[in-house]
Amino acid sequence: MAVDRVTSRPTEGSIQGGKTAGWWAGSSLRPIIYGLLVVGALIQVYPIFFLLMNTLKTDTQILNTPFSLPTNFSLAPYVDVWTGDRTGMFFGRYFFNSVIVLAATLVLMLAISCLCGYAMARGQFPGNATLHQVLLLSLAVPAHALAIPLYFFVGSLGLRNSLFGLTLVYAAIGAPFTIILMRAYFMHLPVELEEAARIDGCGRLGVFLRIVVPISRGPIAGMAIININWIWSELFFSLILMNKADVRTLPLAIALYKPAPMTVETVLGLQYAAMALATIPVLILFFLFQRQIASGMTMGAFK
Amino acid sequence: MNPRQDAAAATSGRSQLIRTVRNALPWYLFIAPASLMLLTLMAYPLFDTLRLSLFKWGGLGPQTFIGMRNFAKLFGDEVFWRALGNSFIFAIVVPFFTVSIGLFLGVAISRRMKGWQVYRIAFFIPVMMSGVVVATLWANMFEYNHGLFNTVLRGIGLDGLAQNWLGDRNVALMSVMLVPIWQSVGFPMIVLLAAIEGIPQEMHDAATMDGVNEWQRIWGLIVPLIKPVLASITMLSIIGAMKVFDLVLVMTKGGPAFSTQVLGYYLFETAFRSGNFGYGSAIAVVMFVVVFAVAYGYVRGVRIESVEY
Repeated sequence: MAVDRVTSRPTEGSIQGGKTAGWWAGSSLRPIIYGLLVVGALIQVYPIFFLLMNTLKTDTQILNTPFSLPTNFSLAPYVDVWTGDRTGMFFGRYFFNSVIVLAATLVLMLAISCLCGYAMARGQFPGNATLHQVLLLSLAVPAHALAIPLYFFVGSLGLRNSLFGLTLVYAAIGAPFTIILMRAYFMHLPVELEEAARIDGCGRLGVFLRIVVPISRGPIAGMAIININWIWSELFFSLILMNKADVRTLPLAIALYKPAPMTVETVLGLQYAAMALATIPVLILFFLFQRQIASGMTMGAFK
Repeated sequence: MNPRQDAAAATSGRSQLIRTVRNALPWYLFIAPASLMLLTLMAYPLFDTLRLSLFKWGGLGPQTFIGMRNFAKLFGDEVFWRALGNSFIFAIVVPFFTVSIGLFLGVAISRRMKGWQVYRIAFFIPVMMSGVVVATLWANMFEYNHGLFNTVLRGIGLDGLAQNWLGDRNVALMSVMLVPIWQSVGFPMIVLLAAIEGIPQEMHDAATMDGVNEWQRIWGLIVPLIKPVLASITMLSIIGAMKVFDLVLVMTKGGPAFSTQVLGYYLFETAFRSGNFGYGSAIAVVMFVVVFAVAYGYVRGVRIESVEY
């Protein structure tokens, strides 16, 4: 998207006059600023390193020598939390629950949002402007305020403890923002190609599916990327709607995982392994899509 | 949109109406799925929250209309005032630190301080993590006997500073607030960085020619130019902080002695733990009003479409 340009600029390493010419050079503040940056960066990264190291340590090591590195590299804690044989918490299943909800939410939310955003950008129909206003207002509604009726409504549909029910709720929560951004994108999309297809006798839906969606793959993928984070982390509605153990999502399972300290050799290690399970995919994603994520966040900030 | 049809439609008012409807119909089908979902899963629940706040209801059985009594009860509810107060403290303290630290980082990185690529990644990674994971991790580090903080403090002989970080009612709120500050400084950083990078180089060059020092460059050039972004990121942080829930659930459950109780968690406890769905709805209404008031001003003030780099 358009914003890409901005965030990509630093990586081009433009060493121009005003930018690098010895910032704070000669000032006594310079070492202090460097100190703050280095210490700050360590404070940001160390806890994550600590988390990952602890997945490989025994409880005794975690508690008594927190700074030591793991002595032997064993993936046993990961296998244990994944299968749940020793813990009774089946993180492999929770992981897949989260993956399913994430994928289904993205598909549903993007489908309805693209359709709606496209109609709002291209169509002239009574209520279009009102719809836009309502969507903007809905961004200001905290989802917590919907929780009680949603709990009963989803229950009355028989969709409590259902991954599909959770998907519906997530898609609805994420849709207004996605619609607004997709609408803004479609408004800037040149209309000529679509008009040519219309003259060739293609219907509105045909134009949308055969022309608009294919040329908009980039922005649609961008919207997916910036929505992954909150869906993967969401706790509140999962906690309310998912009461049965086998439908828990990963954040919910981690929040409910209460290891009894010292009963087994590596109870804490297991907890850390479960946390790593939720974190490692996000880290991989981050390194793969750093630029898109940064630009998405930047765009999201204008929400 | 379609001039040919428009011209034809102008021939008579009646056929114009028919054409408007015929033109509009496919678009209504396009917006139908999203509208249906938003009506049933957002609009209806919102109005039902407002309605339920006037009732006494245990979840099963009849709903008893009690008018404004839930709100009257809220008015005299000490825990509610604690929750409201703490939510406001959250909404002031957390954004203050995240935005000011984020501004510092954004400026430093934009000025290409040595190692800027590393700082950018290091400060941004925690933003990506789940709130639950971050909260669990920090709860373990805050733990009194074996947690990282107390181990370090005791290790360097500062036993007196070792705290019951989450168990002491005078310290707990501060400890909890530290976590979102740690987690989310990277967010304002990345947004402000993009805004700072958007400042034309010529303006920097002009400032350089005028011989400004770095301090003047920051406060006289950079900050005034990114003020709209600074304002919007501050508002976003405030809204986010008002909605805090995961952290409190994982780290303190609102305790000790309600010292970390916040609106979101009190709503959850009242409705879904104690089964007072009417009273819980009243808390939800207050939360809605407070967040909406802040967010509404923000939504009105910022136009997404007008933001084009």
